[in-house]
Amino acid sequence: MKNNKSKTTKTAEARKEKLLSILKNQGLTIYNDLENGKFPQFSIPSRSVSNIVYDKKLRQYILGNSSAVRSARNMSQLRSYTQLSWLAFFVNRLVKEGKSSTLRDIYYSSQAFEIDFEDQPESDNIIVDLEALLSFPREDFHIFPEERSSVFGDLTIEYTVPGYEGKKVNLSDHPDGYLIGPSLSSAELIDTSAELVIAIEKGGLFTRFVEEKVHKKFKAIIVDTAGQAPRSTRGLLKRLNTELGLPVVILADGDVYGEHIAMVIKSGSANAAHLRELTVPDAKWLGVWATDIEKYKLPTIPMTESDIKRIYDLQKDPRYQEGNWKTQLEVFLKLKRKAELEAFSKYGLTNITDKYLPEKLELSKSL
Amino acid sequence: MSLTKETFSQISPSEFFYRNRDLAGFSNPTRSLYTSVREFVENALDACDQKKILPDIHLSIKAVDPEQPDPKPYILSVKDNGPGIEPKHVPLAFGTVLYGSKFGLKQARGMFGLGATMAILYGQITTNKPVIVKSCADGKTQDEFVMLLDIQKNKPVIQKHTTKEASKTGLSVSIVLEGDYSKAGTKIRDYVSQTSLITPYASIIFEDPSGEKFHFPRIVKEMPSPPTIIKPHPHGIDVETIRRMIVDTHYQIPIVDNNTITKVRSELGLQKKNLNSKGILERAQKKWSNLSRPVRTVVAMMSFLNLDFDGLSKIRIDDLDVANKKLTYWNFGESKSHVVELDSESPYYKQLANTVQGDTLHAFLTKRFQRVGPTTADKFCEFAKFKSEKRIGSMTNEELVKLADALQKFEEFLSPDPSCLAPLGEEPLSKGIMKFFNPEFASVIQRSASAYSGFPFVVEMGVAYGGDIPPAGLKVYRFANRIPLLYDEGSDVVLKIVNEMDWSRYKIKGDPPFVIVSHICSTRIPYKTVGKENVADRPEIERELKNALQYLARKLAVHMSRQGMADMAKKRANLYSKYIPLIAQFVTELSANKKEPNYKQLIKKGSELEEQQI
Repeated sequence: MKNNKSKTTKTAEARKEKLLSILKNQGLTIYNDLENGKFPQFSIPSRSVSNIVYDKKLRQYILGNSSAVRSARNMSQLRSYTQLSWLAFFVNRLVKEGKSSTLRDIYYSSQAFEIDFEDQPESDNIIVDLEALLSFPREDFHIFPEERSSVFGDLTIEYTVPGYEGKKVNLSDHPDGYLIGPSLSSAELIDTSAELVIAIEKGGLFTRFVEEKVHKKFKAIIVDTAGQAPRSTRGLLKRLNTELGLPVVILADGDVYGEHIAMVIKSGSANAAHLRELTVPDAKWLGVWATDIEKYKLPTIPMTESDIKRIYDLQKDPRYQEGNWKTQLEVFLKLKRKAELEAFSKYGLTNITDKYLPEKLELSKSL
Repeated sequence: MSLTKETFSQISPSEFFYRNRDLAGFSNPTRSLYTSVREFVENALDACDQKKILPDIHLSIKAVDPEQPDPKPYILSVKDNGPGIEPKHVPLAFGTVLYGSKFGLKQARGMFGLGATMAILYGQITTNKPVIVKSCADGKTQDEFVMLLDIQKNKPVIQKHTTKEASKTGLSVSIVLEGDYSKAGTKIRDYVSQTSLITPYASIIFEDPSGEKFHFPRIVKEMPSPPTIIKPHPHGIDVETIRRMIVDTHYQIPIVDNNTITKVRSELGLQKKNLNSKGILERAQKKWSNLSRPVRTVVAMMSFLNLDFDGLSKIRIDDLDVANKKLTYWNFGESKSHVVELDSESPYYKQLANTVQGDTLHAFLTKRFQRVGPTTADKFCEFAKFKSEKRIGSMTNEELVKLADALQKFEEFLSPDPSCLAPLGEEPLSKGIMKFFNPEFASVIQRSASAYSGFPFVVEMGVAYGGDIPPAGLKVYRFANRIPLLYDEGSDVVLKIVNEMDWSRYKIKGDPPFVIVSHICSTRIPYKTVGKENVADRPEIERELKNALQYLARKLAVHMSRQGMADMAKKRANLYSKYIPLIAQFVTELSANKKEPNYKQLIKKGSELEEQQI
């Protein structure tokens, strides 16, 4: 894998430059329109439900061809047009100055510029508009959600955030792992000896894996997704997969939500259909499968009504129409019981790392 | 009220209210101070209303010792420019519970005149200080009474009585009571200010314990016409009410005791003289027109029994069966019961029969109810299948139930006479609201009179929106008989109606700068508690409130949409000139230009677009 190294260098920097140039071009177009007495407008891919389609080739949800024009000429759109142009301007500043912010920050920052967002949902919505317009996730805009997860393993990164430029860190230096925050997300991925990425749903298991030296035994980088993986985590998994060529495997609870956590890492969510940088189409769901519950005689708890409703919902999703994804949903529905990752502790705390993980990894090679 | 006398003879009314003071709103020092203020202010306003005097009320609350922590004794004084009370009535009016002039059927703020005495009573038990009443009824002399209440005997104990010259009528009452102004202050200030809203023809000055003066000047100079005392309306009268009215209407056979005999003797001018039965009857014939009803009845009985005064004192009348023309009496001397046949031809027979049987139904209807004339009474009798000459005293229980039922169901009675009610009127209410809230929009309505359970009522309501009203959400000001209701808001019928409204339908949303003023006037407000703070939900009242509120809400909605359009036009007018420069500012930095683009042309185009669209 090391041969990828030179190729991956400065990827983050290149993305940043690309974004800045797109922003500048947008700015120039509008500037010229204003100068020429022409009402400027944006053409934003439509995010309405009817325009969200599943692309079998890309193996993720994408936006269809329809798009909406937002024009400064239209009185009812003028306000949101101004909001969007303000956000482009503000993101440009953020990225150039290497400052990070949160969704809530954006809502408040707007008030310094007489941009009157009625509430945060309105400003959040404009952020998604800009994502769709530029086809960049908001993490590239340096706008981060509050939720955070962590990563651990032999991976050397180089910071690009102001004050840390060029500083290198190995992510196995701290046993609790490293927070996947703005600075890690914008860092260059320099070097790794790992051959695998294990994404795991729960912080407790993440710590156990570090203690049991899973990263050494399996030559792995371990990522704690802390439930449904945040976009910055999915972005990191994507980069580990594409820039470093590492395969990604996923371990989640043995229930319908666990299965879907794996699916979202693999092929994205409908909410982020306008973005293409967040999926790892080749990621493999290791478990816990419904069939594992019987096979490993795991202690179970009964499903709630909402669990069962969720299964019916997912059965309508095009991604669950075939193969193991479909089979496991059916078995879950038959069992009407679920098992958490911790259930393996019944057979000893290290049972999951000593027995289950190697068996499933072996099995995954044939998937 | 003979019944009341009997019921209360076991325990004095003062004693009763002393034991049940929680019911009357005297449960703790905070509430008691507030209730006392209310009672005195309301009495003062009532007094002025009755004599059509524009009220000038002066209320003051002073701590006896300002340094002491609450609860502590306060001196509460209320002075008015009303008609005053004649000196001879003052001790009874302020020193007796259940003494008052408010038992008739007309709208007044206070119900029984209990409250003021309760306050005095409460002051006395908490501080052992007398009440000081200064009254001037003739505009010449002022009488000052210092007195205490004898709780057991329900009697005033006058400690001092002085008189001096005066130039104006008026009454001033001052008591010392334990109170907690630090807690009650907000409510009292609310009470006074809201009272000024619903009494715009009054001038009220309130001096609080810190010495600060709040003056609520008179807003209108015309007083609403005062209420008159009226009879009940037949609609919704129940069996029990009819039974009581019948008892009042027909006269019972007097108990023949020494008192009665003395009375008969004196009316006949026979205090010392004994005549035989025949002589007494002759005497009675001569004086008949001057005799009182009970005496006539006794004389009639004597005629049938052939008795003189001696004989009369030895018997007890047991039964008078008019239908079978029989009179049963008990002779103490013989220890024997006798039955006497009544001669229906005798002129005395009618006297007895009328006494026991009372008025005819026809007369009862026309005499005892409002808005029932002879024609309506005839129609009603036909409707209810009663003979109009039927004596009400001879009605059986079943017939009374049937009568009560028919009174409720008969639809041709005129709607209740609202002359006993004193609504404020649309104009003064509107002026009060404008002055009080200074809103951008206000509208008021007075519904026509309606009745619940035979008590007439009128709903007046006003809404105000915007202007000086803070955008803190809907606030309801509740009034009943010109009294602000401040406590127990949650369970009130007005709140229920307001909350049931779908305000979004009337373009009201969020936390609007919006107030509702609701005023219910009735001869009897159906309060849920004796504390008189929340009105119970009667379907008739609910309906009126709802209609009033919907009417006003529609008016407001019209205003809101007009306002909305005006706002929109105003906003639009500035839309392009507001946003285009902002966009220019942003893209100049975004495109790394030094100079802003020339966007004047665009703003001009924009305003042209605006003009087209408006």
